[in-house]
Amino acid sequence: MKQRISTTLFAENGQICCVSCSAPLASTNERWKEKVALSTIPVAALPGAGSNIESRVVLRRFSCPHCGHLLDTETALPEDPFLEDVVEV
Amino acid sequence: MDPVTFSIIRHRLFRVVEEAVITLKHVSGSAITNEGHDLMVSLYEADGSLLMGGVGFLHHLTSAAEACKAIIRKFEGRIGEGDLFLLNDPYTAALHTSDIYLVSPIHHGGKLVAWSACFVHVSDIGAMNPGGFAPDAQDIFTEGFSSPGIKLIEGGELRQDVWDTILNMVRSPEMVALDLRSMIACNNVARERMLALIEKYSAQTVDAACKMLVEQSEARLRERLRELPDGQWQSRQYLEVNDEIYKVLLNMRKSGDTLTFDFTGSSPQSKYGVNCSRWASLGGLFAPLFPLLCYDIVWNEGVIKPIKMIAPEGTIVNCTRPAPVSVATVGAIQSVNNAACSVIGKMLAASEKYADEATAVWHANHFAIFMFGNNQRGRLAIGILTECFAGAGGARTFADGVDLGGEMPNPISRMANVETIEAQFPIRYLFRRRLKDSGGPGEYRGGAGGEMAIVAHDAPDGGIHYVMSGKGTKFPQSEGLGGGYPGGVNDYMWVHAPGEMHNADRFAQSLATIPGEGEPISWGVFPLMGDDALYVRWNGGGGIGDPLDRPVAKVLADIETGLISEQAASDVYGVVRKATVLDEVATRAKRAALRQSRLIAGVAQ
Repeated sequence: MKQRISTTLFAENGQICCVSCSAPLASTNERWKEKVALSTIPVAALPGAGSNIESRVVLRRFSCPHCGHLLDTETALPEDPFLEDVVEV
Repeated sequence: MDPVTFSIIRHRLFRVVEEAVITLKHVSGSAITNEGHDLMVSLYEADGSLLMGGVGFLHHLTSAAEACKAIIRKFEGRIGEGDLFLLNDPYTAALHTSDIYLVSPIHHGGKLVAWSACFVHVSDIGAMNPGGFAPDAQDIFTEGFSSPGIKLIEGGELRQDVWDTILNMVRSPEMVALDLRSMIACNNVARERMLALIEKYSAQTVDAACKMLVEQSEARLRERLRELPDGQWQSRQYLEVNDEIYKVLLNMRKSGDTLTFDFTGSSPQSKYGVNCSRWASLGGLFAPLFPLLCYDIVWNEGVIKPIKMIAPEGTIVNCTRPAPVSVATVGAIQSVNNAACSVIGKMLAASEKYADEATAVWHANHFAIFMFGNNQRGRLAIGILTECFAGAGGARTFADGVDLGGEMPNPISRMANVETIEAQFPIRYLFRRRLKDSGGPGEYRGGAGGEMAIVAHDAPDGGIHYVMSGKGTKFPQSEGLGGGYPGGVNDYMWVHAPGEMHNADRFAQSLATIPGEGEPISWGVFPLMGDDALYVRWNGGGGIGDPLDRPVAKVLADIETGLISEQAASDVYGVVRKATVLDEVATRAKRAALRQSRLIAGVAQ
């Protein structure tokens, strides 16, 4: 039975899956962010960035490795760990 | 109790608060109160616990409860009919010294039956810098007058010696007197209407209805929490002052019918006034919790019971005396607001039933600029640029955020008319509008923030000065949700005018066309003199969902209405135009290429 995890993820049969293509991404007892595609963009490179933006801050983009759909984002300094959101299934 | 009587009393309590708010606004003469709505009015039970939370800045609802409890402890046996107390010490209950609480006991038949409480941000509090936000202050002792509780009115009679002492410590005594009188009037109306309610239904019946109301709120929130999935959600907020960077870390755990907000790992307290006390953090997390989880539940003590907060002492979210806190409301408290909004939004988004209630983070950073100086009538004027309340809505899971749509912790916040500010201060607006590329990209875009520029005008001293507690230039703080990008950042620019100005230069309509050299500024006291200009831009709300899923027609509409640039349309949304006409083939190719590029690990250029 499908269980909603977020707007972009659901859990089914012990797997966390992509809402867009239904591909399994990680088992429910794994950290899914470590199993998907990660690309980062300097926030300073985003349109509309201000004049004083911190040069080291990036936008982490976690994407489905199968369809490229964007699953989550977080603003981070490079040394900071991934945010960990866990829905009990 | 029969349900009809209960329902009537419930609605009468709402109206008591509403009428008190109207009184506060009508008596107040300051734009920050009656136009910006930097205010709060609520009712409390005889023991000081929250009975009926009102609108305004919601992080005050729990702090004012603590203020009532502090007064009860401090004045035990000396709380009489017609008394009114003032409290503004942040280490007792208040958020910062300039947000003064006036709390009033309500007696019936000689017995204390309830309290009313309200706050406004007073015109001045005698801190190092005018207006209350004091970026130069190094400790609480330099942040102005601070009282852990003092009786201002005794048995209906103003204590003139106390009144005179307070007004002797502030820069604009006439305006502060008006602020205080507006709060006295507000409390008087709340007391009179509560007594009228009690007269009609009896103290016993009203008390029983109030107890039922609290029990009902607790039961309904616990029921809602049980419907939501168990789990944990995290948020991380960065805020900066000069070259210092601070973090507010939040781990929210939901288990059964309880929620625990844990701020362990947040930065040690700062030498700057962005810190907040424990009570302020508690209020800060409740500000988004009330509207997001309790939109149809009365905001009272029952809502507070299922919630637990862990805030380690000595951190930026639970600082120890005498750490400075004057900038707390736009500093750590707002970061707590943002973090709580983010984790609650993620929890709601994990629920089939409540996903439509989820939101990305709203306008995440006030800029808090207080102007001061002699105005065009030769009188000292101190006041805030209320654009900091204009805000920007976070995106929802079904719609864009509202442009300049206010802010999460204050459902009635708004900015004053340009003319109000120009009438009060010797300044002229060059422009004020929505800001391009400020709303966080997403399938549903965050609401746009704004930009504005002002110059001195008709100033007897050649201009004025302003106090800036400006953070939010280095890190986006309006987090996105479910793949949405964060909203843009703030920016503050002092444009130094060239030696010679043409008249047309004095009516520039964009930052790029204001003549002179721009200097980024953020923290301290600065002049606005001669032909110099102050340019300010403020952040948009966070987006929700993949920007590549945003319908092309909406992207085109955003370009046409000036909300996004061609660069954003192409680089973020993958929509390509040639000479203002959509290139469908190029758009399909661009979107496919952008999607593919995400699969390549590393830093994209």
